[in-house]
Amino acid sequence: MGKMQEDARIIRNEEVARMTWLMRLHSPWIAARARPGQFGMVRVREGIDPLLRRPLSFHRIHPGKGEIELLYRVAGKGTWWLSRCQPDSLVNITGPLGNGFTMPDNPSAAIALVAGGIGIAPLFELMVRISESRSKIKAEAIHLFYGARNAHELLPAAVFESTDVSVHWSTDDGSFGFSGYVTDLLDEWTAHAGFRPSELFACGPLAMQHNVARWALARDIPVQLSLESLMACGIGACLGCALPAVHPGGSSAEHYVHVCKDGPIFSAGSIQWRKIRKQQLPSPIFPCD
Amino acid sequence: MAQNPQATAAVPDLSVRLGPLRLKNPVMTASGTFGYGEEFADFLDLGCLGAVVVKGISLLPRPGNPPPRIVETPAGMINAIGLENVGVEVFLASRLPRLRERGVPVIVNIFGNTVEEYAELASRLDGAAGIEALEINISCPNVKQGGMIFGTDPAMAAKVVEAVRLSTGLPLITKLTPNVTRIGEIARAVVDAGSDILSCINTVAAMAVDIFSRRPKLANVMGGLSGPAIRPVALRCTYEVVRSVNVPVIGVGGITGAADALEFLLVGARAVQVGTANFINPATAVEIVEGIERFLQVQGLAGIEEYIGTLDTGCLFPFAEESCEWIDLKQP
Repeated sequence: MGKMQEDARIIRNEEVARMTWLMRLHSPWIAARARPGQFGMVRVREGIDPLLRRPLSFHRIHPGKGEIELLYRVAGKGTWWLSRCQPDSLVNITGPLGNGFTMPDNPSAAIALVAGGIGIAPLFELMVRISESRSKIKAEAIHLFYGARNAHELLPAAVFESTDVSVHWSTDDGSFGFSGYVTDLLDEWTAHAGFRPSELFACGPLAMQHNVARWALARDIPVQLSLESLMACGIGACLGCALPAVHPGGSSAEHYVHVCKDGPIFSAGSIQWRKIRKQQLPSPIFPCD
Repeated sequence: MAQNPQATAAVPDLSVRLGPLRLKNPVMTASGTFGYGEEFADFLDLGCLGAVVVKGISLLPRPGNPPPRIVETPAGMINAIGLENVGVEVFLASRLPRLRERGVPVIVNIFGNTVEEYAELASRLDGAAGIEALEINISCPNVKQGGMIFGTDPAMAAKVVEAVRLSTGLPLITKLTPNVTRIGEIARAVVDAGSDILSCINTVAAMAVDIFSRRPKLANVMGGLSGPAIRPVALRCTYEVVRSVNVPVIGVGGITGAADALEFLLVGARAVQVGTANFINPATAVEIVEGIERFLQVQGLAGIEEYIGTLDTGCLFPFAEESCEWIDLKQP
């Protein structure tokens, strides 16, 4: 496997949806090794403030061109600085890190992906890979359930045109597609269409992922969740990115997994959702920060 | 043959002696920031380091604190990990052998809830091959029992060190907390109790809150501040401790580059530990070794020993020998 830090040259860095930026990087070492669902730790700026790197998942991986794409939401000081980076400048990135998604066992089975907001970031590459692996076989459809708070925060429909994925849109305020949460759309659409995915993949806000986990567990459908956490090192040294988890020995003893090295991809049943504290939920950004 | 004015003579001698401990260079990694070493093997040659201080080990495995465990602050971070570790059995069976293969001296940071636990842990590690020294953690701010309670009271601190001293012949380093009024007092107490070396500082007790949710940003509410934000505090503590005791001192706190490390060596630390910077650039420690070497070459020094503790706190104008008061330059 291996990982390293690479000075990646920025090819483009632009806003593609409200507060959502796409950064394309020439990062050949990482591009050659990265898998869907893995992430990199990005040093958004030289100097000591902000001090820590930011964990960002790989949105697209182009090993042939030696390029990767990161899709990120400007959510604080670090990502704001990242959005200021100009093409042709360098950003240092450590990777590839984490476990990544496990590709579906059955190449022709029905698959559903659930993305909430910036949660589309790691799912896109997975979606493309699954879609490409199916071009030669008769397969069930791939369904993407993609929601955001409003229409402005959704990626444009054009980016999905090159894939054979059925996209089902939702917005919390009803400004585009289904009006309501993406998990409600998943529930209603699958019930209405009589569609039962053989496997689910999801990424989005923690509350959304919890709902996906409950929905899937109730139906006994395996689900791979891409979870996030504040992180200092990304390589399993600081132990800062812990999440309460089910004890592997089956006991009720306290047990934690670490998003950076045990994840970021987890099965729904491995997380102790009830033990997650309120502080794990993100807070709005103070405009003057 | 033309002389190159940039050419330098022999490679400077970076080796240091810390009481019973000899290191090939003065740069170690700080406990809790470097895992069990192996996590960093992809990024640097561990064999180039003076020593690796591993994550604090306790007798039994500890799950650690509930998350959120970390928060970023200006030029620093606050952590409340809660000494999550695999326990001494797993450490000896799997982590230590793998780290030994990397050819780097291993220092084991130890932690207990009671004086007896510290002693038992020390005797368990005493027999293990490949451990150069123990670092006694009496300064962790993030655990309910033990930890900083031992480190803030000179008598308690001395008790822990005495008990460990009786349990092992290994060189002992005691890691001090800055969260005290007079750090020199604690330093003297643990040296009298048998500590061969001191390291300072552990993290600075700190807190962060969210103004919207009105919640603390750490589940543990309080935690320990580290990173460049604490470097001036660490430097002051190191200076004070160096002046209070006659044993070698290791400077720790906010070191991110060779220049930072040299500050600590200048005030008298005989070695340094690199902590939070490992998270930001995993190759920091090795880059510091190289940076110190270049600095010595530029300064024309044969070895690091010529630089350690050479801080000049004298007058700006040494010819005014009577006092350091203002010199009236108009006087003949």
